Amino acid sequence: MNRRLVIILILATLILYAWPMSSWLSTLGRQPATFATYAPSTPEVDSKPFMVEEFINPDPGTGMVHVGSICELSDGRLTAAWYGGTREGAKDVAIFLATKDPGHPTRWSKPKRVVDRISASRELYRYIKKVGNSIIFTGSGDRLYLIYVTISAGGWSGSSLNVKVSSDAGITWNNSRRLTLSPFFNISELVRSKPVPLNSGGFALPIYHECLGYFPEILWIQSGREDGAIAFRKSRMAGGQSFIQPSVVAYGPALATGFYRCRSDKKAVGVAVTKNAGVSWSEPQTLNLPNPDSAVDAILLSDHRILLAFNDSVQNRENLRLAVSDDRGSDWVRIATLESTQGEKYSYPYMIRSQDGLIHLVYTWHRKRIKHVVFNEAWINAQMKRTAK
Amino acid sequence: MSLGFSFVFPFLLIMALLQGGTGLLGTLRGWRPTLILGLISAFIAVTPVGGLPLARWMISFNANFSISLTAILFCKVLEISFGVKLLDKNTLLTCWVFSLTAGVILYPMALGLGGFDPYQAGWGFSWLFVVVGGVTILLLIMKNRFVVVLIAAILAYNLRLLESTNLWDYLVDPFMILVSCIALSSRFLRKLSKRA
Repeated sequence: MNRRLVIILILATLILYAWPMSSWLSTLGRQPATFATYAPSTPEVDSKPFMVEEFINPDPGTGMVHVGSICELSDGRLTAAWYGGTREGAKDVAIFLATKDPGHPTRWSKPKRVVDRISASRELYRYIKKVGNSIIFTGSGDRLYLIYVTISAGGWSGSSLNVKVSSDAGITWNNSRRLTLSPFFNISELVRSKPVPLNSGGFALPIYHECLGYFPEILWIQSGREDGAIAFRKSRMAGGQSFIQPSVVAYGPALATGFYRCRSDKKAVGVAVTKNAGVSWSEPQTLNLPNPDSAVDAILLSDHRILLAFNDSVQNRENLRLAVSDDRGSDWVRIATLESTQGEKYSYPYMIRSQDGLIHLVYTWHRKRIKHVVFNEAWINAQMKRTAK
Repeated sequence: MSLGFSFVFPFLLIMALLQGGTGLLGTLRGWRPTLILGLISAFIAVTPVGGLPLARWMISFNANFSISLTAILFCKVLEISFGVKLLDKNTLLTCWVFSLTAGVILYPMALGLGGFDPYQAGWGFSWLFVVVGGVTILLLIMKNRFVVVLIAAILAYNLRLLESTNLWDYLVDPFMILVSCIALSSRFLRKLSKRA
């Protein structure tokens, strides 16, 4: 290389690095991403306790369903997503979607197949062996995001995440897009919990990694483009091999608590806090609530208490209970047993709060149905009073 | 753009394999054999198997072959085709050491060792860009040809030629680490046997 070429290449290098640097510089003046803290309406003093249970999907007969999620559209309709097939990990597993009109409080639409391995393979233009976990959530307007798992080889540790966007509340969907989130063949990334909205218009979506290490992460999604395209990056909540499937509850622009499924011998719900909007998280600790290596979900109530849905056992998923904490997750009071049947499984709770203040909980019921339980805060308070007696 | 580029690595790999196989029959240098092998490789890469082009089957299991590995393969194909040696021993040694160092920094932590994830630095401007930019300038001053690979990597990143939007994926991939390990180990063993 002669001197002239070296100078030309140095200039080329500087220009090529100036490109990403300029976009970074343009973000310097902006406020860092913060959680859009939930501002729930104060429940009416005289509202009566209310609780309704129903199934979202019809009985699949010999098949199975799992990993339900739910969200509310701008017009108040509810949309739920889950996967189902002959068995977990089977090639015929597909992701289904159903909606519920607020005018028909007990009627869910017939499940519609949104993604299966054939359509995912076509859209992602690659071999897909099977599809798995999915979650659905709303963006601005009637935009719906479906984040789902595909596997090209191996088991769950071979999972990759994909995103599919609908701009008309789930009637039509854009082609799936692969999210590259790991340097190791882009595998072992999974999703199962609801996102936390950000003040920037984006989302902090709790995800997790399971391969050699098992740990919780946050997928930062920035949406806003007309075509529904997203920008994304990922950060770590904790390392190691003990905690996965984070459920994040934000109670301030920079404050949040993450609750974890515990894989270790401690067999207790894991917990960590952030005081800088998810930039860093405290070392995970365990609560005095048992966890049989199963998913939990938490949600913030109008008075900033936290409601947790969990399997109250160190051995199995034979029950599903609700507990409330009024000190941001340190101490808990069990308030209700939603399910308890020996030999059965109740798993993967997923909660949202709709605009009318109702709390919607969906979970896998006997691996056959996705159950939807709706209740208000008056019901929670009534349960608490009953427990106190 | 990344869709078209996704065929490049599989095409080069098929070409290198064909060169390796047919090379046993005699020399393959020159425009004519290269053109014929290139056409055959392109045909194989786009041939649908079970509804997917062969190249996309490869991409199904690893969608982000690094620019470094692609460049090494390209240079190897070029060397067999025309006898042009773009990468001398010093350049290759730099490539192996750079890739292995990057791999040692990246993979253990990215796969869960500790609470810090260096992979995070690959999305948007960060310390990683400063380090790789600094190494690029340093290698330019040292007139090491590996610098061309690093410049190609940042150019490819800016053009989003890979499916990934993370700079790490443009610099290294698991196969590159494997190749680097094999190359450095065999170099070490050669030196050891020479001494003996």
